[in-house]
Amino acid sequence: MGVAGRKRFNRVLIYITVISIAIVILLPFFWMLSTALKPEGDIFTWPPDWIPDPPQWHNFADAWNAMPFSRFLLNTIFVVALGMSAELISETLVAYGFARFRFPGRDLIFFILLATMMLPFHVTLIPTYLIWQKFGLVGEFDPLVLRAWTAWGPFYIFLLRQFFLGIPRELDDAAEIDGAGPIQTFFYVMLPQIKPALLAVGIFTFRGYWNDFLGPLIYLTDMNKYTLNLGMYFFMGGVNEQPQWNYLMAMSILVALPILVLFFLAQRYFIEGVTFTGLKD
Amino acid sequence: MSAYMATFLRWLATPVVLLAISLFLYWLLRKIGWQKKAAVGFALISPWLVGFLIFTAFPLFYSLYLSFTEYSIFGTPRFVGLQNYIFLFTEDLEFWPSVRITLLYAALTLPIGVVGALLVAMLLNNRIKGIGIFRTIYYLPAILPEVAVALLWRWIFNSESGIMNYLLSPILNFFGLGKPDWFGDPHYVIFAFVIMSVWGIFGTNTVIFLAALQGVSRSLYEAAEIDGASGFAKFIHVTIPQISPVILLQVVMGMIGALQIFTVAMFVRPTSAAGKFMNQLVYERGFTQLHMGEASAIAWVLFIIILILTLLVFRSSPAWVYYEAEVKR
Repeated sequence: MGVAGRKRFNRVLIYITVISIAIVILLPFFWMLSTALKPEGDIFTWPPDWIPDPPQWHNFADAWNAMPFSRFLLNTIFVVALGMSAELISETLVAYGFARFRFPGRDLIFFILLATMMLPFHVTLIPTYLIWQKFGLVGEFDPLVLRAWTAWGPFYIFLLRQFFLGIPRELDDAAEIDGAGPIQTFFYVMLPQIKPALLAVGIFTFRGYWNDFLGPLIYLTDMNKYTLNLGMYFFMGGVNEQPQWNYLMAMSILVALPILVLFFLAQRYFIEGVTFTGLKD
Repeated sequence: MSAYMATFLRWLATPVVLLAISLFLYWLLRKIGWQKKAAVGFALISPWLVGFLIFTAFPLFYSLYLSFTEYSIFGTPRFVGLQNYIFLFTEDLEFWPSVRITLLYAALTLPIGVVGALLVAMLLNNRIKGIGIFRTIYYLPAILPEVAVALLWRWIFNSESGIMNYLLSPILNFFGLGKPDWFGDPHYVIFAFVIMSVWGIFGTNTVIFLAALQGVSRSLYEAAEIDGASGFAKFIHVTIPQISPVILLQVVMGMIGALQIFTVAMFVRPTSAAGKFMNQLVYERGFTQLHMGEASAIAWVLFIIILILTLLVFRSSPAWVYYEAEVKR
């Protein structure tokens, strides 16, 4: 085998590996969909059937209606909308403050902010719960959304700050010479420059609130206020109950659907955001 | 509807309060002679500072205090000294197994998640066609909600008719193992968790490594080739040092994330024989059994573990992490 032949052999080998890994990754998705479409009696067949026959599309509607999931969806949208918008606004402002202004203690404060990323969520969980209890807001949506105003995502502040740092100083100076104050500079000079970062943070916070489970689990007590994830937890059934797998898979797909759609629509920002947070130290 | 309205109004009032605090701070700082720009900057970050003081700094110390008390939410905390810790370390039957399974889980997922993702990223970096499609497919599990990931894998690992036992049946039959109950059997549960998590986190790591690899300058490889370096030598002497800061970040974040596993475990619901992760124990003791002191103690043990391991990784980093800027300076 010549050099060219060996090169070609290597390429084929690489393609085979890359495609095999893709299949391994996709197989569970296929299994999820296949189970979701199976009639009740076909779930526990052995060997397992890969193709549901005939596909039971009504499983999706049946699962959705087995619990007040429409209500849960509304609750989830409420939490996501409030949390996400508050976080975007507050984090952008905080990041702007860290990136474009000098003040005593700034670097120390920013270091503390980064250090909070390493703090396990559960350490502050109980006192935080007690604070909300003092306010009389346990059982309401408030503990899930009010804190978003205090820019509680250090990762996103970090990401936005990096973007602000990348904007040339000359732009600020030019704006200042034209008589713009910090607020005008922010809206007319800064915001248009950091649009990709805002989109990335928007997507990540959306996903964060949509996927949140611990918050709803400890703060929401009334079934009328459950979010989708919390509803799923009870939909799963009791500890010793065998779950109804076709319904559970159907619901898993429905819960994942908005995120999947968002991913395909905004893939570029998703991937850019991921690489950005991973690459800048 | 009224529940939405009440929360919505409080949600509108919160930024007004925060703005008032910001403006007050601005006024105060100007009063004590700060420059205008400095005062504006401090006012801008003040919402974070307020949140940090109320929801991070105070809870951190308060939970440390609570860990030395007995407290059931009702009444007031009763100081009991080291009793919670002594109970956990010596008498509690669930504590050490949960420390063990949590550490073991992190120790197994971390190398697979980092090394495996790096290898796959290197494969993808071979200028192959359709790289965008592969990147999308590889990243897909990472965007799935944890709830869906956990339920899906619990079903895949189902003892009676999950596909895992089906696909593995030739091997399992060969060793005479029958159909293992993955999430129920203490011998298998950790592997089930590791497989599930690796599937779930692989994509993020791969995408990040891929971008890092693409950022390595071609000229470095060319220089190495002129010096007669083989493919492996290039990997060791060029690729690894160049992307080492990214590896460090992945190791630290991966470790912190793995040690805090919670949601997937709650949905997978391993049997109690299979063990519970530390965060599950915190939730259970605190919110179902109302032993807030004990729960705080467990959370603090986890915090100390994370702190020590993170410091160890950072301490070791000068030996293997290479920052270009340091040399240039």
